[in-house]
Amino acid sequence: MKYIEYINELIGKKTAETEKLVLFGQNIAAGSHLSGLTKGLKVGDGGLIINAPNSENTLTGLGFGMMLDGVSSIFFMKQLDFLLLGIDQLVDTYNFVRRKKLTVSYTIVPIISDLGYHGLQSSFNNFGDIASVARIPGFTITNKVDAEEIINTHLVSSGFRIIGVSQRLFGQEILDVGKSYSNNEKTLFQYREGHKATIVCFNLAFPYGLELYNKLKEKGIDSSLFSVNAVTPIEWSKIIENVKKTENLVVIDDSKSENLSCDNLLVDVLEQCQLNNKIVVKRELRGNEWLYPNPDLLQIDYDGIVSQLSSK
Amino acid sequence: METYSMENNQDINIAKEILRIRFSQMIVNEKYGAGLFKIPIHLALGHEAIAVAVDSVMQENDRLVLSHRNIHYNLARTKALKPILDEYLLKKEGLAKAELGSMNLANEARNVAYTSSILGNNLPVATGLALGQKVKGSNGLVIVVTGDGAMEEGSFYESLLFAKSNSLAALVIIENNNWSMHTKIEARRSNIDLPKFAASLGASYEKLNGNDVYEYIEHLKKIKEKSLTSKIPTVLEVDITTLGGWYVEVDGNKEGRYIHLHAGPTSKITLAEWPEIEQSANDPIFVLQKYFAADILKTMSQEILKSIKEEISEA
Repeated sequence: MKYIEYINELIGKKTAETEKLVLFGQNIAAGSHLSGLTKGLKVGDGGLIINAPNSENTLTGLGFGMMLDGVSSIFFMKQLDFLLLGIDQLVDTYNFVRRKKLTVSYTIVPIISDLGYHGLQSSFNNFGDIASVARIPGFTITNKVDAEEIINTHLVSSGFRIIGVSQRLFGQEILDVGKSYSNNEKTLFQYREGHKATIVCFNLAFPYGLELYNKLKEKGIDSSLFSVNAVTPIEWSKIIENVKKTENLVVIDDSKSENLSCDNLLVDVLEQCQLNNKIVVKRELRGNEWLYPNPDLLQIDYDGIVSQLSSK
Repeated sequence: METYSMENNQDINIAKEILRIRFSQMIVNEKYGAGLFKIPIHLALGHEAIAVAVDSVMQENDRLVLSHRNIHYNLARTKALKPILDEYLLKKEGLAKAELGSMNLANEARNVAYTSSILGNNLPVATGLALGQKVKGSNGLVIVVTGDGAMEEGSFYESLLFAKSNSLAALVIIENNNWSMHTKIEARRSNIDLPKFAASLGASYEKLNGNDVYEYIEHLKKIKEKSLTSKIPTVLEVDITTLGGWYVEVDGNKEGRYIHLHAGPTSKITLAEWPEIEQSANDPIFVLQKYFAADILKTMSQEILKSIKEEISEA
């Protein structure tokens, strides 16, 4: 099953069983239904599906207004950068709403433009930046396990959050690798337990991390594989303990932000762990070429990393 | 205690509310001038009539959404000065437990659902509240207060468009005082033809001026009923003069430049037993004299001021 089909199925199950839920957004009930994200969605009794006008500031605030009146909603958004038009709602309005102990839910589900070929707007593969403007709970979906746990736990639950999905992964078969651990908040997932290296993925980098894990395994290097699916810092003592054991750390962060989520982990690791290897895979953004239409792929020297970790 | 004669069959409690809100603001102004507040406060002297009118037509399921200049509505809805003063003083006994200060002050218990300090920010939230009312099948009206500055924001257009597109009952009150901070409309933008603008979206347009609170109440009742029945948003423009500004001398001209009272205290107004600021229709207190004799209003004023001082333990 494709990534987007699986997410659509999970969302559809959740929305259909929820009463008085309002789904809204541009083109959510027309055309391609946001490339399939909102295709065939239904809501429970008393709910509404609104194919909304192109008014992102108002749409962002709309959900908060409904929260204040005791109504839950989900705002589906074609591209994460459209959410920039609603920033003041994310900051000022959310700061008002978060003081209250509300039992209703408001979730924004934007598609992160990480495909690259949309040109200038594709530079905004910065999910963490959006969520951190007001310390908003934010989650990214990269595979079958995190999709199921994040959507089932957070899509309709008390409070407000943003759940980002990857446009690059839409047409790909959803990765299904099982898991060995996830925390209650669904901010930290562990997929493999090894003793020679610790791989930690951020933003939407899990597919890269999985590929590295497999290449290391082919060379007999058994690794632990984590994904941090949330805005950092989080409680990540499980990663720290793992790094203390392996003494080899690889972090992979495919965000284009200047303020990378992985940096928070690196600070803690460097304070608490003795390392033989610290390998940081992030984007080299020089000049303006990264702004222009491009594949937006993170460049990883897999062989170099395998070689480096094999030498110790 | 009801010791006053009723003239023209108007409810004297409405007049009392106008006076109470005026006195309350004057007391805030005194304390503000004395440096008691660390937070910015936007006084609304001269705005009392629309606030009292809105309060008087609100019912259980209605919701009020405010902006940074909200003191008049909060006084009208809260019916007391002390919790608001305590909030301004950032005391835990304050109306919002010192969490909101002035510019975001709301009072959920009295249906002031949300207040924003950001121009235009409250319009989308009000639209969401109206959508929530629709989902719940409520018969309430969402009333959102904005101004001639905030209506320049894109959210004004967006929210009206959404409300009309989804048949939401909403009343958008534009307090038009001709100023955005310290810039007049004519100095910052071309004219917006609000009747045409509203009509272009299929929304209703109404206008109030003159600060006659009794007329305002009657108009608001009709507007509210129409909006709830038709499920069409209404834009209500209210002409207002924010009192308390002053002139500064320019090139020997003593009235060379007018300083609009945006935020902060004004030294041009001092607390007195008769709270009239201007002898014109710009001042709702002056307009009350259409309905009540001056001596009645003055006697009433003295009693209201005494009562407020007792409330805040300054009698």
